[in-house]
Amino acid sequence: MSYYFAIVGTKDNPLFEHEFGTSKQGGDGVARFREEARHMNQFIVHSSLDIVEEVQWGNGQMYLKVIDRFYNNYVSCFLTGGNIKFLLLHAPTTPKAIRSFFVDVYEIWVKTLMNPFYHIDMEVRSPVFRSRVVAAGRKYL
Amino acid sequence: MTDDRSSVGWVNSPSPEPLTGLPKTRSQKPTRPASASATTLPYRSSNASLSSLFASTSTLPSRAGSAQIDTPSQETGSESLFLTASPGAVSSPTFLEDRSDDPRKLITRAFVPHVAVHASPDTDEILKEKGFEGGFREILRPFGERVHGKVTVRDSVGASRTWDDFGVRFVGLGDGIEDPRNGNHRNSNALPRGSFGSLDQGQALPGLRRGGDISAIEALVERHLAYAELVSGDYITDYLNYQDLSSQSSSSISPFFSLYLRRLLSAIPLTPHETFSHPVACVIAISSRNPSPIESLRQLYNTTSQGEKKLPVWVNNDYLRYYVLVHDEDKDDIAKSTVLFDQMKRHFGLHCHLLRLRSSQCLPTDDDSVRLPICNWISAAEELAEIQRREHSEDIEDPRPCLFDSDATAVRTFVREMVTQSIVPFMERCTATWNDQVASRRRGIGGRFISLSKRWTGFGAGRSSSGTGLAGGSTGSNSNYDALQGFYRPDAPEAIMRKLADYAFMLRDWKLAQSTYELLRTDFNNDKAWRYHAGANEMTAISTLLSPQAMTSKTRSETIDQMLDTAAYSYITRCSAPYDALRSLAVGAELLRIRGGSAADDASRWAIRILETRTLGEIGNALFTERVGACYGSRKGAGTGRWGSRRRKNAMWDVLAADIWLRLEKSLQAEKCLNNADALYQEIANGQERAEFDGMRSFIEELRVELQARRAPPQPAEGELEMANEQSNLMEVESEKMDQRHHRQSILGAPAAPFGTLDTDALSSVRTVGEQNEGPENQFEPN
Repeated sequence: MSYYFAIVGTKDNPLFEHEFGTSKQGGDGVARFREEARHMNQFIVHSSLDIVEEVQWGNGQMYLKVIDRFYNNYVSCFLTGGNIKFLLLHAPTTPKAIRSFFVDVYEIWVKTLMNPFYHIDMEVRSPVFRSRVVAAGRKYL
Repeated sequence: MTDDRSSVGWVNSPSPEPLTGLPKTRSQKPTRPASASATTLPYRSSNASLSSLFASTSTLPSRAGSAQIDTPSQETGSESLFLTASPGAVSSPTFLEDRSDDPRKLITRAFVPHVAVHASPDTDEILKEKGFEGGFREILRPFGERVHGKVTVRDSVGASRTWDDFGVRFVGLGDGIEDPRNGNHRNSNALPRGSFGSLDQGQALPGLRRGGDISAIEALVERHLAYAELVSGDYITDYLNYQDLSSQSSSSISPFFSLYLRRLLSAIPLTPHETFSHPVACVIAISSRNPSPIESLRQLYNTTSQGEKKLPVWVNNDYLRYYVLVHDEDKDDIAKSTVLFDQMKRHFGLHCHLLRLRSSQCLPTDDDSVRLPICNWISAAEELAEIQRREHSEDIEDPRPCLFDSDATAVRTFVREMVTQSIVPFMERCTATWNDQVASRRRGIGGRFISLSKRWTGFGAGRSSSGTGLAGGSTGSNSNYDALQGFYRPDAPEAIMRKLADYAFMLRDWKLAQSTYELLRTDFNNDKAWRYHAGANEMTAISTLLSPQAMTSKTRSETIDQMLDTAAYSYITRCSAPYDALRSLAVGAELLRIRGGSAADDASRWAIRILETRTLGEIGNALFTERVGACYGSRKGAGTGRWGSRRRKNAMWDVLAADIWLRLEKSLQAEKCLNNADALYQEIANGQERAEFDGMRSFIEELRVELQARRAPPQPAEGELEMANEQSNLMEVESEKMDQRHHRQSILGAPAAPFGTLDTDALSSVRTVGEQNEGPENQFEPN
């Protein structure tokens, strides 16, 4: 199955996007979204921000679990302390794997934030960051 | 179906008769698929009689005025509803009021008592002389939609409530019958499509007056949409109304959706599992011309109770009979009629009325003539037939018959008197009796005991089935349900309670209705009467939502959600009755939406569920996609930040709807949705630069470009009728071009079945790699 991962800033702006496929059960880690449906991922993730904004006040955790659904696509969310949202679009799977993935990505993310040249809501272009996200994805999903 | 269509070449009216008879150039057009029927537009957009039919969805209120100025040739000849409506004609109040946005009103006005009309041949003859081909029913029908003045109804606890929009439906005896066992075959044969264009109302098949056909509703809304596209083609009106369109708030009901909903609720089919369309009363009418009046009244009565006009066995035959003497004002002697009327009153009791009508035909040019008002609650098939009939007719005059002002007043008085003095008291009496004798036995601790003992032992059976001798057909030893034929007999306590609940619902006593439906739900469940079960669930949910009391989100999710879910599941899976499922979900979603708050979330979830059930056609799909957005939009956030609102979701669904509308070539609707979405995204950005995902932005831009390209070429103004014929050829060529253009590949896959086709099981089941490309609707491919 395929995943779409996005980090969304405080102004609904995308900071980082990545598509990948599963590496479990012999998957090759390549996303298989249909080309003409690519933008739908973004629409779905963007629209689920509405739900994030509501759920965040009723939940003390950073990992908010599955917050939204669009037909058969589920959106899981991880909210950082700086109001940056990690959103993962996926098919129904085990929440545990997603949690581990989010925690790993959060660690990388905090390291990126420590870069003195990074400002809030700035797009992350670092290839190292990307490769580490890929590794986390391969590890857990 | 496609076969007989292609032989004719006119998409929606395969009947060859009117086409060969009329020298129409357009009728030689090549066949097109149904989806392209926007190109088979009414060729006379300026036909005023036709435009009046589309008035209910027309978004261009200034059109009446401009038509008068631009087309002097029409002004003299035609008096459509639109043109006469301005100086306070009878029809205008109903017409205006029906465009009100409140779905609650729409729904309460949809479930009203049905009154069958059974007139003697001599009565129908008088009315045919007057120009009413449909006979007595036709003259009564529009006046019943809204009873003149206020109607007071007493509910079960004795409190009176006054309604000013009470109505009844006049139907023919036996209109809309559905075979109890063939509920699922209905959609395939309900539409006598071949007879659409040629029939006039008098000979219309009773099948035409039966609603509940989704495809007919879709076809009708398609016609309205096509008309709206055509009208908006001239840039001037478009420009004038541009502000209107874009500023329209998304939560207000779109006229097309409103029409869809109204047609969905019009002419509810006569089925065993609900009694809304079972007659509450029957008007038995004779005229003063009748040689043996009392005798023929008796005969008419007999035909309603045992003759060929008798309704199916599952219809309770104890409805009210109301006797009417139609007096011919022009030819007959009133003294004789009065004597006869007194005699009638002696024989038949108080439920009698003397209706004085003039038998001579009324012409539009007469001083005191009024048009027969337009019926708002006719079935989709009937309206479709009417539109086609007017398209094919040569004269631009409104074919609706006229009647004298005195006649209109007489009919109005008659309807009011009958409703307030006979029908409503009759229904009140029935509900009180049944509530006392049947339902209250089941309430309270004793009643629970009966149902328990009935379920587990045989003891309670003798008491609750009250000795009707039905054991022969029933499955269980103690169930009243005839599983073989699929209905309860009308004298079974369950059937009576359902009738009680329906009567209470029609009298708008939501509380009694709700508690009775609640009782029935368990009964039907125990008897495994699935269609009844679904119906009771549906109506419990609706009556709970209609009652004004507030609800916590917890109770709502426990009760309403579960009931709607059960209803939809039972209707679709167990009874394959997609129409009923669609109706319950659509009504439920609308009622939840107007509750606002978190109920709006539920509403959108149900609207999405409708899309998932795949009962809709293309038009319905687009309308409901748009509706999901509106449902999200009706959730208003708190504070200046509008926290808790669903603007992003609203915007997304609007974009999706715009995409679907564009693929259906309805650029007007697409533009409306896209503007709405744009405004929402602008609002979310809150004055700053919109920092969106690039894919979203490019998709919206793509839609915009498409929209610009699709904009209809300018069409001739209203006045240039001579030019219109020359241009029609030109337009045809251009529309050909439009068709050949390469269709944009879209996210939603094949145009016939956008979203609904997302496989629900695709993700849970593991597929082999080879199958990967088989399911084009899946966004995720399992490996």
